[in-house]
Amino acid sequence: MMRLALPIQAALWIVAAFVLLLLYGPLFLAIFFSFFAFRSNRVQWDSFSFTAYARLMDNQRIIDALTNTFVVGVIAVALALVIGTLLALYHHAGRGRGRDLLQVVIYLPFLVPPIVTGLSLLIFFRQIDFERSLVTVVIGHTVFVLAVVYRNVLARLQTVSRTLVEASLDLGANRWQTFRYVLLPQLMTALLAAGILAFALSFDETLITLLVTGTKSTLPMWLWSMMRLGFTPDVNALVALVLAGTTLLCLLATRYLTKP
Amino acid sequence: MEGRVQHPPLLRPMDQRDIADGRRAVGAWPDALLTATAWALPTAFILVPLLLFLILGFFEIQGTEIVYRLTLKNYTRFFTDAGFLPTFISTCLLGLKVAAIAVVLGYPIAYLLASLRGRAKYTVAMFFAVPLLMSYIIKIYAIRSILGGNGFLNRSLLYLGVIDEPWTFLIFNLNAVMLTLAILLVPFAILPIFVALERIPRNLLEASADLGARPLLTFLTVILPLSLQGVVIGASLTFVLAIGDYVTPQMVGGIEGFTFGRIIYSQFGFGNNWPFGAALSVILLIPVLMAIVAADRAGRARYAT
Repeated sequence: MMRLALPIQAALWIVAAFVLLLLYGPLFLAIFFSFFAFRSNRVQWDSFSFTAYARLMDNQRIIDALTNTFVVGVIAVALALVIGTLLALYHHAGRGRGRDLLQVVIYLPFLVPPIVTGLSLLIFFRQIDFERSLVTVVIGHTVFVLAVVYRNVLARLQTVSRTLVEASLDLGANRWQTFRYVLLPQLMTALLAAGILAFALSFDETLITLLVTGTKSTLPMWLWSMMRLGFTPDVNALVALVLAGTTLLCLLATRYLTKP
Repeated sequence: MEGRVQHPPLLRPMDQRDIADGRRAVGAWPDALLTATAWALPTAFILVPLLLFLILGFFEIQGTEIVYRLTLKNYTRFFTDAGFLPTFISTCLLGLKVAAIAVVLGYPIAYLLASLRGRAKYTVAMFFAVPLLMSYIIKIYAIRSILGGNGFLNRSLLYLGVIDEPWTFLIFNLNAVMLTLAILLVPFAILPIFVALERIPRNLLEASADLGARPLLTFLTVILPLSLQGVVIGASLTFVLAIGDYVTPQMVGGIEGFTFGRIIYSQFGFGNNWPFGAALSVILLIPVLMAIVAADRAGRARYAT
């Protein structure tokens, strides 16, 4: 791009600052009010405390919800990594309409609104008489994040030189060895980035989960039920912790995404 | 998945065992079996559920039981019963407005990002991408706690004496839904526009300047037309996400902010009419497909040079 005139640059920065304020302002306020009380229409500056955080640790339902979220996320990401990599390898290994069609199917849960993905799974589980539980949530999340892994791995595969693979085969490695020792190391950062991204998506997934979940809830479900009741410092404290966790994941992901 | 990968000695002499059971044996899957294996899971967990869902809309419910006889009743009910079609239209309009706001706010930011150099470009870009990974429900919650009648904005304004009565037009109506969705979805508009701007070859801009065009003319005749594909993709994305949402309207929309997504969701809750809900979702897919096709076409467009 060309260098911009100063007034234009300034105007663009103002828009950017405004949007950043809209994006981050509400979150910072929530974090702020996890430490300070807000009474009689003003901030009580002398009310700084960690009690909201301490109360969180005593709340067994939050601990359960957090555990469920982690378990679901880890299993769904592991499944998506294996299946997504295999499907990417399959697509990369040949050409044809069938492969392109399969690609569209893999992208479908990402393309249609989450409510459609969620509803189709909900109907599917009822038709095959499969009771809703954390298992159905795991399936829903796997279906959803599969496209992310698939896309990432496929993009990386396309940058791996074919000559490397051919050299490996020529030198006597069998296909498994070639995959394990030649291809996989090249895919490693792509898999890590995809895994972190997929975990963040799963951790936050609300629209599909709400439809396929049983009695056990994940964190977004718990937050959703809490927020209908109103705003408490406890929820703010939880919000702050979740945001800290997500930021950490983002930093990790960018570390691996920016590596060539 | 192992954390560290050790490179084995790839350069080792080929021996008899390798030739005997090596690459041919392991790689020799029959084509049909390979294809079937690849299709198995996506078929079972993506295609079959979606097809079931499509079919369910053609059944009807009597009492609490689904009657498995094909009918178009659900679809005719959408047109004949009051309330459904107007909500559908107002939801589509809502999606268009959200997409418009997101693009209007997103374009200048994408432009700024594209004009930055080196490290600064990616650092600033990350600030706009990170909120995408932040908890969706938390963002809605935070926005609601500011806009609400009892929220931070109103209480602060009351305290400062700017207003005497809390503002109520900010929450629990369609405007609140629109504003919240626009804030949530802006990053989805920025990124595709940024990518489109980055793809514009520098020599086109230099040629335009060399031929005497002022920066504004270059922008209007070269940059803007070439970045339109990014605008279309960004607008489609935000539109699709906005019209399918049912959690945001539920949380900030109140009774007035009723959207099509909420109607669909209610069919699977207390409305308990799954076939009708499935039919309504199929109708929701029509504008969604239109947006996806528009984005796909824009994405395929190549410079006619």
